[in-house]
Amino acid sequence: MSLHALTEVLYLAAAVLATLGLSLRQPRLSRAAVGVLAAGALFHAGAFLQMHDFRLPRQLSGLRGAVSLAAWVGTLFFLFLARRGRLHTLAVIVAPAAFLGAFFGAAEHLPGAVPRDAVPLWAQVHVLLASASFALLGVACAAGLLFLAQRRSLKRKQPPQGRPALPPLEALDRVNALAISVGFLLLSLALVTGVLWTLEREGQLWPRSPHASAALVAWGIYAVLVGARWLARQGATRAAQSAVAGFAILLAAVVGVGMLT
Amino acid sequence: MNLLLVGMNHRTAPLALREHYAVAELAPPLAKLVDHDVISEAVLLSTCNRVEAMVWAARPDVARLRLHSFFERDLASGPPPDVGVPLGDALYEFSGPEAVRHVFRVASSIDSMVLGEPQILGQVKDAYRAAVESGACASILTRLYQHAFAAAKRVRNETRVAERPVSVARVATELAAGIFESFEEKSALLIGAGEMIELALEAMRDAGLARVRIVNRTPARAEALASRFDASAHGLEELPELIAGADMVLSSIAGHGPLVTRDVMERALRGRGHRPLFVIDLGVPRNVDARVDELDGVYLYDIDDLGRVAEENAEERRREKVRAEAIVLEEAQRFDGWLAALAAVPTIRDLRARAERIRNRELERAVARLQASEAPQEVLEALTRGIVNKLLHAPISRLRAQEDREQGLATLEAARSLFALDEGDPDSEPTPGEES
Repeated sequence: MSLHALTEVLYLAAAVLATLGLSLRQPRLSRAAVGVLAAGALFHAGAFLQMHDFRLPRQLSGLRGAVSLAAWVGTLFFLFLARRGRLHTLAVIVAPAAFLGAFFGAAEHLPGAVPRDAVPLWAQVHVLLASASFALLGVACAAGLLFLAQRRSLKRKQPPQGRPALPPLEALDRVNALAISVGFLLLSLALVTGVLWTLEREGQLWPRSPHASAALVAWGIYAVLVGARWLARQGATRAAQSAVAGFAILLAAVVGVGMLT
Repeated sequence: MNLLLVGMNHRTAPLALREHYAVAELAPPLAKLVDHDVISEAVLLSTCNRVEAMVWAARPDVARLRLHSFFERDLASGPPPDVGVPLGDALYEFSGPEAVRHVFRVASSIDSMVLGEPQILGQVKDAYRAAVESGACASILTRLYQHAFAAAKRVRNETRVAERPVSVARVATELAAGIFESFEEKSALLIGAGEMIELALEAMRDAGLARVRIVNRTPARAEALASRFDASAHGLEELPELIAGADMVLSSIAGHGPLVTRDVMERALRGRGHRPLFVIDLGVPRNVDARVDELDGVYLYDIDDLGRVAEENAEERRREKVRAEAIVLEEAQRFDGWLAALAAVPTIRDLRARAERIRNRELERAVARLQASEAPQEVLEALTRGIVNKLLHAPISRLRAQEDREQGLATLEAARSLFALDEGDPDSEPTPGEES
């Protein structure tokens, strides 16, 4: 079994454990899911190294590879957050997303799938930054979804299910704020490097492609969201809703358009 | 030998009677219990809801009388109170498997006043430890209580009997845990006072709540409460500013209308940023306008909300009790099996000794005949026949001598089972000593 296949198996196992942990209200299963996810992230790193013949990454320009990288970065970011606080149940969204990302990117991990031609530096940096921002904004979306679910449960005065199943609102809002802020910064840098890449390749500032236009729209939406959050003191609920809506648009802009073109 | 338990609990005895027989120091009464001839082991449990003595006794009838006198003379702290329930009516008794099941139910908290409450297991462990330390507990009760602790652990892990909070104070704390990461660095505002709200505050203090501010119509009352909770006291006029700085508001103040209106809350929220606000309103009539709950970031619960949650949780615990009872029964049967096997030990020992005596006697005869130069074939024949005949003589005589038909059939059935007469060829079976 290849390293990448092992990664997929571990991510899938983590997703199953996290789902069982949440539905059966067994925190031990959710914590185990985080451990399995960490093991998956380790193998995922190994799979990337293997893909590049254990040398520095040279080729990450393909959409599938970028999605796989985003899954890995998102998993690492979640593992960083899950060190403290009661955030392990967030794995119920992160683990399946990581599995889907790794599964989608599997083709790029096949031997010979990556061309050995030189790729411009700006292209590599652009893909790295875009993947990382995609991952962080995805984690913000996951935190937003759980925030809305937990808020709904609290507002409907539903009884607490023994051991609190979902993370507390405060922790989810903290994750949302951090992920949106850093994710937006990375997305902005990805946009700048994309412009530099286009300039180097085509001699013009802006490529006339659906991908670039959709990405710009998504960036604009996130700029409004971040502004509303930090300048207009937007509340936590609205911020969670915005994170979910923003990521849906980003997903359509980057992956949807990328697959169609 | 048998297990016997005599005791009283919240169902059989009022508090005045229970406290009359409750003991703080367990060692002296335990020493008196095991000092008796027929009682070889004892454990004494004394909590606010029950006083129980569990013993391993040679003669249960005598031990039963001794336990009643133990309550009357050794545990009573003076003349019994006149509560309309005589001691004899307040005491219950369990023996054998029933006593085992009772101990398991108590340790698993399914016999408690509040089903699933966590304190009882610690109290049973303390009682067992005290018995071990005072030398009143040996192999039988040690095994019994170890089984009881294992049963309690299974009940806790495999059922939800102790999972959901059933007190209003705990429900409030659990709800707050769904909002806040931790209570450290958090501040609570107490409006008015009351038993339930103070219990909720204490539960949150236990969970690490950092600051408490108290508001009351009467400054003196606010000061008195503030000194109790290591808090600061304030007047009602500071309410909007205090709400703006609080993470939790716990309100229970007498009045005719909402003290915290939607308008007051909206003004307070402006200065709070994104921080959520958890509000418990236990006032009747309500102190906080119900429309406050419509505001983003405010989570308002009134007495009915908390009561409903507590009742739903209690109902869930009652449903889980059926599963807990099944676990207790399974574990109790396991212990009963061990005890039954233990009871067979003296009989097995006697049986072996008797067989050994027969073998030695027949062997001596055989050796004497061999020394007298008799044919070995004949000697061996006589030796084995002698052993078989003597071993079977008593059981066969008893089987033939049964006069009562019912008894006779039962004995025949027992013999067929004991000698495995309905099973396969004995040559193909290993002897007990050969088994791995």
